[in-house]
This record gives sequence, structure tokens and C-alpha cells, in this order.
Amino acid sequence: MDGLGLHRRLEANAGLLTFGILVVSAIGGLVQVLPSVFQDSLVAPAPATRPYPALQLIGRDVYIREGCSACHSQQVRPLLAEVRRYGPYSRAGESAYDRPFLWGSKRTGPDLHRIGGRYTDVWHRAHLMDPRSVVPNSIMPGYPWLERRAADADGDIMQRMRALRFLGHPYTDAEIDAAPAALAGATELDALIAYLQGLGASAGAPPR
Amino acid sequence: MPAADLPSDFWAGWILIVTAVSVAGLAWLIYSVYFGAAAQEPEGDETVWDGNLREGSHPAPMWWFWTMFASLAFSVLYLILYPGLGSYAGALRWSQGGELEDRMAAYEAEFDSIRDLIAVAPLEALRADAGLMASAKRVFDRECAVCHGEDGAGQAQLFPNLVDGAWQWGGAPADIERSIRDGRRAVMVGWRAVLGEAGVARLTALTAAMHGTGQPIDSTHAGHAEYMQYCVACHGPDGSGNPLLGAPSLVDAATLYGADLAAIEHTIAVGRGGEMPAFDGRLDDMHVRLLVAWLTRSDHAP
Repeated sequence: MDGLGLHRRLEANAGLLTFGILVVSAIGGLVQVLPSVFQDSLVAPAPATRPYPALQLIGRDVYIREGCSACHSQQVRPLLAEVRRYGPYSRAGESAYDRPFLWGSKRTGPDLHRIGGRYTDVWHRAHLMDPRSVVPNSIMPGYPWLERRAADADGDIMQRMRALRFLGHPYTDAEIDAAPAALAGATELDALIAYLQGLGASAGAPPR
Repeated sequence: MPAADLPSDFWAGWILIVTAVSVAGLAWLIYSVYFGAAAQEPEGDETVWDGNLREGSHPAPMWWFWTMFASLAFSVLYLILYPGLGSYAGALRWSQGGELEDRMAAYEAEFDSIRDLIAVAPLEALRADAGLMASAKRVFDRECAVCHGEDGAGQAQLFPNLVDGAWQWGGAPADIERSIRDGRRAVMVGWRAVLGEAGVARLTALTAAMHGTGQPIDSTHAGHAEYMQYCVACHGPDGSGNPLLGAPSLVDAATLYGADLAAIEHTIAVGRGGEMPAFDGRLDDMHVRLLVAWLTRSDHAP
């Protein structure tokens, strides 16, 4: 059989044509997607990557709830200008304990994947309460209500950690039992700052 | 150049085979549609509609063939030169991380000749060079302005003014360099438990009276005895502070957290804590030197 003969057979048989289309459109996925699911360097946690401690975990949920990821990406691309500005570029394994990951592709504000340790807690507090008190030309909104809500207001931190453990995050029983105490007295603002200060820790040493 | 992050073993073989088979299959399909036996046959008993509409089956025009041929040739060439076939790294040994490292090295090399010169140059020489001072201002904008403000005048009553000539941790170039490199952590403890409300009120009044006078402490003031007992160790008998501890002068006009009675009372009763992060890991010697020169310019320090 040659190409035209094959063409005529496919054209005349709807079932065969459907099957042929599925085979052809699967090739890209079979080559590019399927092997990456099994590639250790892409799915295993990076060496310095740890599951989020309880307070940071709450902070991450606050970050998602307040829509921070709508304006801030968490993905430093391997380009000179980005590495100079933000720090080491992001690796896939650093997101092993992010469910869902918050890479993003829209930057109204700067990328935050290497924000941890860059500013002091005091600065973050002033900035989150009223961004223009420290960055006069900022267009970021303030989030003063975070200071008025307790980090354990939902009272379900242990369930959240157990759910993540079910998905493969290696929390120990001791860590889960200690979680409510770790949140005691903290506000959502404290939790968010703890989360932000932890971002980038998975990259290892800071850049020069 | 570091090796690209490539799959190994089974999956490398998988990628190689699926890719090679699909490229070869495409090549066969295109070739046989144009040049196979069926393409050469006469069209035979084709259906004719309405006496003149013929349902022929012709290969697509030749420019289509050449476009497909060029695409396939490009794919093969690309897979030879660049990583794509399983664990084969490509003839060019190109990788994204390697590309970045090369660019980074080229970028850093641009400053090689001047980096060491700036790190050891006298501060006067750096200050006299307008171009270098413009660079220093850009470093300041990038690294420092987010806390200390674009003009360096401090912000939010949390981050100190750097251009008023008052230096809590010392204003000598060596002191400023140390503040930048190692960071600083200032602690004023809260005194309410020790002093009681009345004591806090007396010292608040004393501090407000001292502020901006430049004069030694009024020894007849009601809070003087408590000052000499609790405050003197850090802020000194004359209220001029102690840069070694980061204890600010109480008699100059500079203030960080505010000089109104409420702010002073809060400072004394509850305490304050200030933190300057260490920049030693983030800035190299050249950058630190440029910042020190910029911060000690004569039109900054009165």
C-alpha cells in the first residue's frame, strides 16, 4: 500500500480515521509529556525543598485567597536580566510541595520566587498594611484586614496537613500535632510574612 | 557548559524510537503521496456529476511538497544539532543553563577591569566621579530605596534617614560599610514594668524636652534621676547616644519613630526593634564601596 491508498481507506472508514487521528495527535504527548512524568530531576523535590511548616502553609493559603498570584509570578526564568534581578532561576523540583504550583505568567508586580530574606519582617508588615508607605509609586492594594484575622481562624490546620500528607507530603505525626500550637497568637499577616520569607529557601545560597 | 537535563535509560530510548519512527513515517507518507504507484496511475472510472463535475484525486501542488520536505529536513538537522533525541545532548552541546552561564560570565567580565579598582580607590576619588556616583545612585535605588526611600530620607517612621547626618551606628565610612555588610539589629527594651506609668510619663517629658536642643540634660528635671539610673548606660550621661550599641542621640534633631509625646511614650513603655539586613552575600566589594562613597558625599553629610 502507498500513501494515496492509505488515504482512500481512511477516508472511507470513519472508525479507522478516528483511530488514526488519535494516534497522530498522541505522538507529541508521548514524546514530550509522558517521559517527563518519570524524570526524577523534574518531579523529585529539589535538595533544599521542604514541605511548608504550619504557619507558612496558612500563609500560602492566604496568598492564594487574596489573589496575590494574579499579579505576582513565582517563576524566575533562566535569562540574564531575571537572574540578575531576582536570583537563581526556578527549578521544577522546587515546586514539589506546591499544590497547586503558583508559577504564573503575569507580572503586574515583581516575581516573588526569591523574595525570602530580601526585606525584613518589619518592612513586609508596613508594605502589606499600606504599600505606599514604603514604595510611593506602588499600585499594589493594602491588606490591612490580615492583621485582624487569626492564622488559626479556620481551625483546620491539622486536616490541611493530613490532606497534603495523603498526597505525598512527608509531614510527621509530631509536626501535625504541633501545628495548632505553631499558629497560636499569630495573625494571617504573620502567616503571610512567614510564607514570603520562606520563598527562595529552596534555591540554596543567595546570589551575589 | 553544564550538560543539559536529559532523560535516561528506558525513556531516552522511548523518545528516540517514537521520534525516529514518526519522522520516518512522515517522510514515507509525503513521498508516496507524490511519487508512489497510486499517484502514477491514471485516474480510471471517476464519478462525473451533472455531466461536467469530475471528482478527481490529485496530489497537492509541488510547492506544498517542497514545504513539507524543508520542514522535515529542518527537523532532522535540529535533532542533530540540539538536544531532543532522548539522552543525546546534540552536536552543539547547547543547553539553556549553559547559555545563561555563558551570558552571565560575559556580563561579569565587563566589570573585571574596574571592579578591583573601585574596591580599593579612595572615597574622595569615587565621589569626584559623576559617572560613578550615578551608578552608585542606581545601586541605592535598587537595593536600599525600598526601605530608606528614593531620596534616602527614610520612610514610614521605621527606616532611618541616611541623609540628615545623624548616624545611629556611627557615620565614619568604616561604620557605614559594616552596617551594609553585616547588617544591624537595634533593641530598645520596654520599660513600663520597671518604671510604672508615672516613671514612663516623667521620662517621656524629659526626652521630649531634650529632643533637638543639643544641650546636656537638664539635671533639675523630674525624670533626671530615673534617666541616670536606667537610660544612661546606652544613651550616655549627656544624652548623645552610643554608636557602638546603636543607641541614638536623644538631644539632636533626628528622630526615627517620631518625636511627638505619643511616639516617645510608646518607645519608652513598649520598646522598639530595628533591623538592617546584611548585604554581604548580595553585594560585592565594588557595590559596597560605591554605596559608602555615595552615602558620605558632602552634600549629604552636613
